[in-house]
Amino acid sequence: MSAPQLRLSAVTLRFGGLTAVNALDLAVGAGELVGLIGPNGAGKTTVFNLITGVYQPSSGALSFGGEGLAGLASHQIAARGIARTFQNIRLFRQLSVADNVRVAANLHRATSPLQSLVRGRAFQDEEAMIFNRTDELLDLFQLAHRQHAPALSLSYGEQRRLEIVRALATRPRLLLLDEPAAGMNPAEKSDLVRLVRQVRQQFGIAILLVEHSMRVVMELCERIAVLDYGVKIAEGAPEAIRRDPKVVEAYLGEGRQS
Amino acid sequence: MPKPHLALLATLAAAAALARFSDAVDPYYLDILTGIGINVILAVSLNLVNGYTGQFSLGHAGFMSVGAYASASLSVFLGPRLLGAAGGAEAAQDAFFLGALLAGGLAAAAAGLVVGIPSLRLRGDYLALVTLGFGEIIRVILQNFDAVGGALGLSGIPPYTTIFWVVAFAGLTVFTVVCLVHSTYGRGFIATHDDEIAAASVGVDPTRYKIVAFVVGAFFAGIAGGLFAHFKLTINPSGFDFTRSIEIVVMVILGGMGNTLGVILAATLLTLLPEVLRPVAEYRMVIYSLLLVGLMLARPQGLFNWRLGKSARFRTGEG
Repeated sequence: MSAPQLRLSAVTLRFGGLTAVNALDLAVGAGELVGLIGPNGAGKTTVFNLITGVYQPSSGALSFGGEGLAGLASHQIAARGIARTFQNIRLFRQLSVADNVRVAANLHRATSPLQSLVRGRAFQDEEAMIFNRTDELLDLFQLAHRQHAPALSLSYGEQRRLEIVRALATRPRLLLLDEPAAGMNPAEKSDLVRLVRQVRQQFGIAILLVEHSMRVVMELCERIAVLDYGVKIAEGAPEAIRRDPKVVEAYLGEGRQS
Repeated sequence: MPKPHLALLATLAAAAALARFSDAVDPYYLDILTGIGINVILAVSLNLVNGYTGQFSLGHAGFMSVGAYASASLSVFLGPRLLGAAGGAEAAQDAFFLGALLAGGLAAAAAGLVVGIPSLRLRGDYLALVTLGFGEIIRVILQNFDAVGGALGLSGIPPYTTIFWVVAFAGLTVFTVVCLVHSTYGRGFIATHDDEIAAASVGVDPTRYKIVAFVVGAFFAGIAGGLFAHFKLTINPSGFDFTRSIEIVVMVILGGMGNTLGVILAATLLTLLPEVLRPVAEYRMVIYSLLLVGLMLARPQGLFNWRLGKSARFRTGEG
């Protein structure tokens, strides 16, 4: 593992009397693929919301690339190179497939928004660049033929893929995938595994994956952390996790193999 | 040259041509056209806030009154000193009027910023209530502000508004909103509308977008107010009460939220309708209201919205 890019140190989040995340330590190195698993309600999505600034931790610290994330809003964290997808798909429903991606590709633009009125050379060049990049991404993930369609007219699997493409359009160094295999059949899951591998190979970014499907997690991840009631109960290689009695009790023991 | 720029040039040319031949046109029609132009400015600018960005503002008449009073005060109190008692040359008048209009727009934009920054953290109904309250506060302040005539209003405003200014500024408003929205930057307004959390996750700052929409919207409402003041020649606070705001909101809804062409057509239709219904005198407002109810029942997605209607849209299930 290279020097950790994302680091959570003793991160705790309380909602009133409920401790959703308790003293969590977690690190993701550059280019690493880490899985975060745990039973329903273990706090996995909450961890994502902490990393992306939707929630601020009650205590503890988060850093990315050596820089603290405390007090940053979601859009500022996105600008620092962390992108995510959502468990319940959140596409922009009034926008076309391509526009969903273009909004995201607009993140690192150099020309000022005021330029959209004047539309000088630099602005038009940049728009063309964003359009090209969007086309490339849609091509790469087999969505080009649907680019003018409303985002919500896509099939479920395509919508999940579009969310990943949209996240990639922000040029992240770390991608957070929140249950990308939810609701997928075995064939779609195999496609997803291929897709995640492809993302990693072609973009060389780190990925933190929350997933219920043991098959997907075991196939993809180099390292797995297990959460239960907001506490990390185990962390290690997939084989070790599979045999860890604490994990089996909390998670696999419930027969949640899908 | 990009398409919107060509359209703007064409509109300015049309405005100049209209102004050139305005003497040949029945003043009644010119007045109606002026009314349409002012309503188009109001509706299209509000559409940026309510339609594209999805922030329900009920304060547009308030911003309009700020612009109206600011520019009219300049014309009434500063105008005679700058231009002389006789009113000065036509070119000097035009230049002064342009300055007064822009000052009115900037005053309204400043008001938009002051109201916007704290209140745009609110959502939906709460924002609607705050903007409604703002509109009423402005009205009450103006009613008690004797320097601008108090409840009696400000009169003796010079008749600077010509068909040229109205059409030119209507064109400029449409141009600005279209250019802002139709760029990869501008898609952020719609993204903010659709899902703030998802928008923020791809680097769109929802608060910033909302403030830009609010300030730009208020600026053009202020311009419309200035044009209105120098057209009616007398303004009073009760002309900018919340029923005026509702009227503009109705134009936006009828045109189809987030559809500039539809909103232009709706603003035109709703300005013409009372005129067309004039022969039926006292039943006019009844028919007007019934038509509105009927239109909303028949086309809830907006009269001129040919995109997928809201009712036909489906939401993604929880994954």
